[in-house]
Amino acid sequence: MQQNRVSVRSGKFEIEVMEGGVGEPLLFLHGIGGLEWDGALERLSATYRVIAPRTPGYGASTGTENLQDVQDLIYFYLDFLDQQNLYRLPIIGHSLGGMIAAELAAVQPDRFTKLVLISPLGLWDPDHPVLDFFVASPSELARAMYFDQDSSPARAIASSPQQRTIEVDPDSEEGRAIIDYFVERAKSMATVAKYLWPIPNKGLNKRLHRVSMPTLLVWGERDGICPTPYGDDFKAAIADSRLRIVPEAAHMVAEEQPERVAALITDFLANG
Amino acid sequence: MAAALARQTRDVAIIVMGNSIALYDPPIRVAEEFAMLDCISGGRLVAGFPVGTAMDTAYCYGANPALLRDKYYEAEELIIKAWTEDEVFSFDGKYTQLRYVNLWPRPLQDPHPPVWVPGGGSIETWEWTVEKGYLYAYLSYSGFKRGKKVMDGFWNVARAHEVDNPYHAGFLQLVAVGDSEQEVAEKFGPHAEYFFNKMLHTYPGYTDAPGYRTVESIRAGLLAQTTGFGREDDAPLTWNDIIERGNVVAGTPRQVTEQLEQVIKDLHVGHLMILNQFGSIPHDLAMENIKKMATQVAPNLRHMWSEYEDHWWPQGAIVRQPAAASASGD
Repeated sequence: MQQNRVSVRSGKFEIEVMEGGVGEPLLFLHGIGGLEWDGALERLSATYRVIAPRTPGYGASTGTENLQDVQDLIYFYLDFLDQQNLYRLPIIGHSLGGMIAAELAAVQPDRFTKLVLISPLGLWDPDHPVLDFFVASPSELARAMYFDQDSSPARAIASSPQQRTIEVDPDSEEGRAIIDYFVERAKSMATVAKYLWPIPNKGLNKRLHRVSMPTLLVWGERDGICPTPYGDDFKAAIADSRLRIVPEAAHMVAEEQPERVAALITDFLANG
Repeated sequence: MAAALARQTRDVAIIVMGNSIALYDPPIRVAEEFAMLDCISGGRLVAGFPVGTAMDTAYCYGANPALLRDKYYEAEELIIKAWTEDEVFSFDGKYTQLRYVNLWPRPLQDPHPPVWVPGGGSIETWEWTVEKGYLYAYLSYSGFKRGKKVMDGFWNVARAHEVDNPYHAGFLQLVAVGDSEQEVAEKFGPHAEYFFNKMLHTYPGYTDAPGYRTVESIRAGLLAQTTGFGREDDAPLTWNDIIERGNVVAGTPRQVTEQLEQVIKDLHVGHLMILNQFGSIPHDLAMENIKKMATQVAPNLRHMWSEYEDHWWPQGAIVRQPAAASASGD
């Protein structure tokens, strides 16, 4: 895996892109938590050239000030794809990235050969409201995101930020790292708010019928962010779609069950 | 309420603190309402332009916190232009599009009512109010000790722009006046404790909203390790803690006068806003407190900053004179 920088729209956006593997290109759009080259991407890169851009506002990807809403973000990604000369490829998105992937697939259905949505956001069901992750406490978030509360990512999420900043001297190396972590989290959540505040339904339900390519829906059985009934809603709205529920996994299903999720995706992309 | 006060009162300033201008669609509604109030009151209006808290804007009204500040700046631009432009104009903003802006009524004050901006300590607001020449008012319930840190921050920015007029700044302080320290503690203590321990409690998830503060403010906040109010897991505050922390200035008229004089000097503020009613203080006690403040404290503070000119007071409102030297004291 290597990390590149790509300039979009004459430098208005400087985008970090993780890229790994050889073969046919495959686009991956990350979720709310940010982009990590996890076990699932590593496995997919054995058979595909995986291209994973970091959304403006995350990490060192710049240009979020040029984006106001979902429509702006869709056109940004279309520019990115044009600039990278990416046509006729499969697209995978997780969480926020799943919502963006579904939007892109609705806007340009001919561009994408197949669509994989992993716990995507974008719809709203008042009987099963999406967790308000903007105000949820750290322990609530950990439970919603991870099946295994003893795993190290779950414990990291569950630790109270206030406590960590009070315990550590802000001028020490550790203190600076903690401050950088919270600043990055605040920065990325401010970006997310443009697309998901106050309710993560920005009209996708009016466009989802345009998604005409074969689609795979992957859900963690215990997803506490957008629970499994949303899987049924997506399945009902997309004609050529199948839903796979993965046990022992929550919202971070690909991180928790990388082998199973990679196998589901590889099989779907190869055989439909 | 300001409309009612405009008719109930004759000469005092009416300070509306204020209208969260980013919440109005279109924001010229604020320009119209404030202009009408300015006309009814005979030019006694101060127009307050708060950004709004995360709780009221983002959670209660669903405004997008990531865009709020940008929207606020655009709303301010539109309102000021609507007040000052002689000709009909069009406005093609990111958040508001108007083919025709033709405001009626116009404000009575020329060019427009003074603008006061309440702030909670966001560093970007300091720079902006100084650039615009608007009054910056640090409105919180924390009192002069924390206020000193915030106002020092404001004045560092202001002095970098060669601005030093104390009337450019305002500050809110809770005050309790009585005939003895003992009496003040007995009468106001339980109400203050209720206020700080119960009423100011906020679920941590609601105190901020994503994008509400800029990255610079968040970094500065983390560095300063400011925990704000309530000591979440600690014992409740007592009256003595509240006094010690400077949350409330309390005592006899002479004690309060001396303390406030020091606060005014230390914080370099020309507009001191006094809150005499807080927590569960009942009507009669609040009236007693207000009366003592107005007759036995305030007159003895009015001589301060007489060497500066107040450009932030409404043109139609009375300017009270300082007490004669002989009338000072308890």
